[in-house]
Amino acid sequence: MSNPKHDKGEHYITTPNAEPFLERLIFNNRALILIAFFFLTLFLGYNAVKIEPDASFERMIPLEHPYIVNMLEHRNDLENLGNFVRIAVEVEEGDIFTKEYMETLKQITDEVFYLDGVDRSGLKTLWTSNVRWVEVTEQGFQGGTVIPDNYDGTRESLEQLRQNVLRSNEVGRLVSDNFQSTIVYAPLYEKNPETGEPLDYGEFSRQLEEKIRQKYEAQNPNIDIHIVGFAKKVGDLIEGIGSIAYFAGITILLTTLLLFWYSRCIAGTLVPVFSSIIAVFWQLGALRLMGYGLDPYSVLVPFLVFAIGISHGVQVVNAMAVEASKGFDPMTAARLAFRALYIPGMLALISDAFGFLTLLFIEIDVIKDLAVAAGLGVAIVIVTNLVLHPLIMSYIGITKGGIKNVQNQGEKQDRKWKIMSYFSHPGVAPISLLIAVIGLGLGLYYKQDLKVGDLDQGAPELRADSRYNLDNAFIIDNYSTSADVLVVMVKTEVEQCTQYNVLRAMDKLQWELQNTPGVQSSASLADVSKIVTKALNEGNWKWYEISRNQTIINASIREAPAGLINTNCDLTPVLVFLEDHKAETLQTVTSRVEEFASNHNNDEFTFLLAAGNAGVEAATNEVISSAKNMMLIFVYGVVSSLCLITFRSIRAVLCIVVPLGLTSVLCEAIMAVSGIGIKVATLPVIALGVGIGVDYGIYIYTKLEKYLLEGKTLQDAYFETLRSTGKAVIFTGVTLGLGVVTWIFSPIKFQADMGFLLFFMFLWNMVGAIWLLPALARFLLRPDRMVAKARNSK
Amino acid sequence: MAKRLMCNTLGAACVGLSMAMSAPSVFALADIIETPSRPTSLAPENLLTDADRAGDRIVAAGERGHIIYSDNGGDSWTQGEVPVSVTLTGVDFGTDTHGWAVGHSGVVLHSEDAGESWDLQLTGVEAAKLAIETRKDEIAAMEERIEEAPEEEVGDLEWALDDLIFSLENMQSDLEIGPVNPLLDVWFENESHGFVVGAYGMFLRTQDGGKTWQDWGPQLDNPRSFHLNSVTQITGGALVVVGEAGQIFVSVDGGDTWEKRESPYEGSLFGAMSTGNVNEILAFGLRGNTFMSTDLGKSWKVVPNEGGATLNDGAVADDGRITLVGNGGAVLMSTNGGESFRPYFRDDREGVMDVVPLSGTNLLIIGEGGVNFTDAKGKDLQ
Repeated sequence: MSNPKHDKGEHYITTPNAEPFLERLIFNNRALILIAFFFLTLFLGYNAVKIEPDASFERMIPLEHPYIVNMLEHRNDLENLGNFVRIAVEVEEGDIFTKEYMETLKQITDEVFYLDGVDRSGLKTLWTSNVRWVEVTEQGFQGGTVIPDNYDGTRESLEQLRQNVLRSNEVGRLVSDNFQSTIVYAPLYEKNPETGEPLDYGEFSRQLEEKIRQKYEAQNPNIDIHIVGFAKKVGDLIEGIGSIAYFAGITILLTTLLLFWYSRCIAGTLVPVFSSIIAVFWQLGALRLMGYGLDPYSVLVPFLVFAIGISHGVQVVNAMAVEASKGFDPMTAARLAFRALYIPGMLALISDAFGFLTLLFIEIDVIKDLAVAAGLGVAIVIVTNLVLHPLIMSYIGITKGGIKNVQNQGEKQDRKWKIMSYFSHPGVAPISLLIAVIGLGLGLYYKQDLKVGDLDQGAPELRADSRYNLDNAFIIDNYSTSADVLVVMVKTEVEQCTQYNVLRAMDKLQWELQNTPGVQSSASLADVSKIVTKALNEGNWKWYEISRNQTIINASIREAPAGLINTNCDLTPVLVFLEDHKAETLQTVTSRVEEFASNHNNDEFTFLLAAGNAGVEAATNEVISSAKNMMLIFVYGVVSSLCLITFRSIRAVLCIVVPLGLTSVLCEAIMAVSGIGIKVATLPVIALGVGIGVDYGIYIYTKLEKYLLEGKTLQDAYFETLRSTGKAVIFTGVTLGLGVVTWIFSPIKFQADMGFLLFFMFLWNMVGAIWLLPALARFLLRPDRMVAKARNSK
Repeated sequence: MAKRLMCNTLGAACVGLSMAMSAPSVFALADIIETPSRPTSLAPENLLTDADRAGDRIVAAGERGHIIYSDNGGDSWTQGEVPVSVTLTGVDFGTDTHGWAVGHSGVVLHSEDAGESWDLQLTGVEAAKLAIETRKDEIAAMEERIEEAPEEEVGDLEWALDDLIFSLENMQSDLEIGPVNPLLDVWFENESHGFVVGAYGMFLRTQDGGKTWQDWGPQLDNPRSFHLNSVTQITGGALVVVGEAGQIFVSVDGGDTWEKRESPYEGSLFGAMSTGNVNEILAFGLRGNTFMSTDLGKSWKVVPNEGGATLNDGAVADDGRITLVGNGGAVLMSTNGGESFRPYFRDDREGVMDVVPLSGTNLLIIGEGGVNFTDAKGKDLQ
């Protein structure tokens, strides 16, 4: 190695050429650059403010997966399947057969009828004329609306109503088994049939809250309202994105306080915060210009950008304070800080960016967007916190308090650093390694329970105790229904979807699935045909069978619900209701369907997977479990290569990467123990955690190597390392942790999971770098050989 | 089956076709009368339509070719091996071991081991062929009559002939689709003699344990081919068949000849049963209409019944209580020999198809929701 930068026995990245070109370019034109940045900030800030929330369903699913390809190809045929809201109106005391309850229900029915987006012809409540009771008589059918024609709220008419409800077959569907609630079922238009505009889920959900829940719960204190449905869930998600603004405020406040405590300098506190906020504005503005909105995942990136900005800003403040304490003026101090930091800073940020970019391998748009947003953010931080920040500081300078703080600090803290330097002591290091090995063992043990997919009941995006999931649990408990639906699509020639063989095949698949663990029930045209054939034969259960006679089949499905037959009659769905959406359940069921399809698909019919929320989750799980290992390999590959290129030593790479690996294992163990599955939200955590976490190791090892090459013993070298960079590393870990910790309180479950896991990874990676790295160095590094090698290469 | 039928009509030309169809790369869906019933633990919770005792054993039949049996009063069930997957509609044991089950696609199944294994004796294809032969004979006879009839009767007889030909054509076109019509009930006297009844007046008799069947339809005066819903024997030995539009037929000579009874009701009767007393018949059907006869059906009186739910079947317990069961969870009880019934409705309101009295006043009921245990008032037992 004859690298000229290695003279003086120091590592090249810490001793760049005096006054490099970049430094001259920036500092000689600082007014011009600041003005340019000012206008750029105005422009990007304007765009940042206008960025729209975007909870687009399609971006959260793996569009390349065959299930999703099938689903999207047939999306118009399945349009009216599954997009509805159900509003359960519950009586707190008594039952539904009271005048007051029926009056409230009537008003709610009318109110829902006029909501924009509701398919009025499909609206069903006890008050709509499509809810009927039917009875077989000697002359044929007899029936009427469930609400008696002469209903007047008297006891007699309420008793008649009760009789009609019992005869109507709606118990368990529209009326709960305990007669304490009924459902308002409102199918929705995906697109407004008149204007063609897509349904605004956020607005629709707000209207449900204001015009239905709040209004009627206030009006009739004896009722509770429960609302579920895809539109409501998306509405709640969009609202959840909004609450992120509070977290941003809290994070900025906490970080500012921490920064002041650290630097004891107003300028050294406000300028990094200011630069980092500028970075966030740039990032958001740039995202909008690139055509992105803010989805529930990418909304978290600004927090990361802010935290990363602060942690690099701290390095600048620290370096300037050190230079200023030597008596340099602000301009020179800023230049020296820039000169010392721009290469390691860029290296760290670039390694962050590469870590994020490995997420591009996952074929789910939100994750790709997250990679782009985070990569972009880190690139922006290079400009704002390595250029803008020192430039501003070169005008303001560090306050006296800040300089004094740096001077005092050293002496006060040396004792702490002295104690911590024992992590590299030959007596302590083996104990550390032993603890690490035990930790690894425990981690590997608990990690076995790590599951793919979402594990909780109800809508996994939202918290188990969220209003939506409580409502969902209420409806599951009181009605025969499941929230987890897998839709198998059956494709036939045009006008052939009701043929005997098609129904027969669907019926066979359904029975196969009902005999599969995890399947609650199923429904298809075959059931409709059987039940109506039975009804047409005087309600005699002995006729509960699919007729071979096509004329009878056609008669039996004439009134089949929309959505079970598409307009061309070349597609008909089988709805499979599942007990839960655990990955094993989905895996078992989809593999049964695939086996059935490969054994039975022929010229007449083709069974295709999959639509429904369970279908989407099954596809997502498959993509995620196959992407997970690949992503881990790439992340660690990238990080290891960067370290190898930088330090030219496999031993160095091991010192830095092994603590990261331990953290990754422990993170997965924590996920397993706390019931967080590997899912769209947690996959990026590993890439982000490792990509950012490697910074600590790089900073520590850079210094450690420098002092070792100066000929110090390992423990002395580590003491010096801690003295010079320990505080910054710990501070960075805490800042990053603070940046994400507020997410734990997000109403959106996966944001909370991400916050929790990232908080752990950021902090624990820092601990790993400070505690485990020196212990590994004790066993892996050969200081004498390193010195000899460095001498030889001169 | 449908393919095989087409092959029969098209002759040798389709041999190649059926070879192609059986090539392993093409998985045509096997017909359900060629598909053995899938072993499943869900059978006791799924639709069951009829039950009978084979000695102490209880045997029940239902949807998807399910036949299940229990030797401990219904506490646990074993699924019999059944070669078809159609909805079964009736099961009856002529002896403790010899039983028959019938169902859709006109299947007749036979067991010699008290319901553990079953073999297919007849399908709707053969049944339809028997009926077609009968029609052809009737047409030939009618044509003969027209030749010999006096001028003034020829017009009416030709109308009748047209009806027969139309009916024959219907049967033939049905047969081209396959075995479309279901059998609805079965009764066996012993291990060789029995009847099956079904849709559109299907009525077959065997005297050799089901090896051969005769179309016994011509013995019933059922020119409009109404569905026959039930066949049973009452105390005293008479046989009773009831069906659609109030049809009631009685045989007092072991089934050789049948007399049509004047019906008290124009709606469908789904069942008839003995009250336990000689020559007494209880008949019931749509909307809870129930009738009692003490003279082998020559005269009927209405049995008051407030339930209003269609009744499907019933049973007499050892202590003389009579239970009728029906749609909407109806369980009706009579403690006065069928003079009157008190209706109860089960909480689940699921259809009940048959009832088997157990010890005391407890009942085993089967139907829409599979097997359930109730007390005499239809309340679930703990």
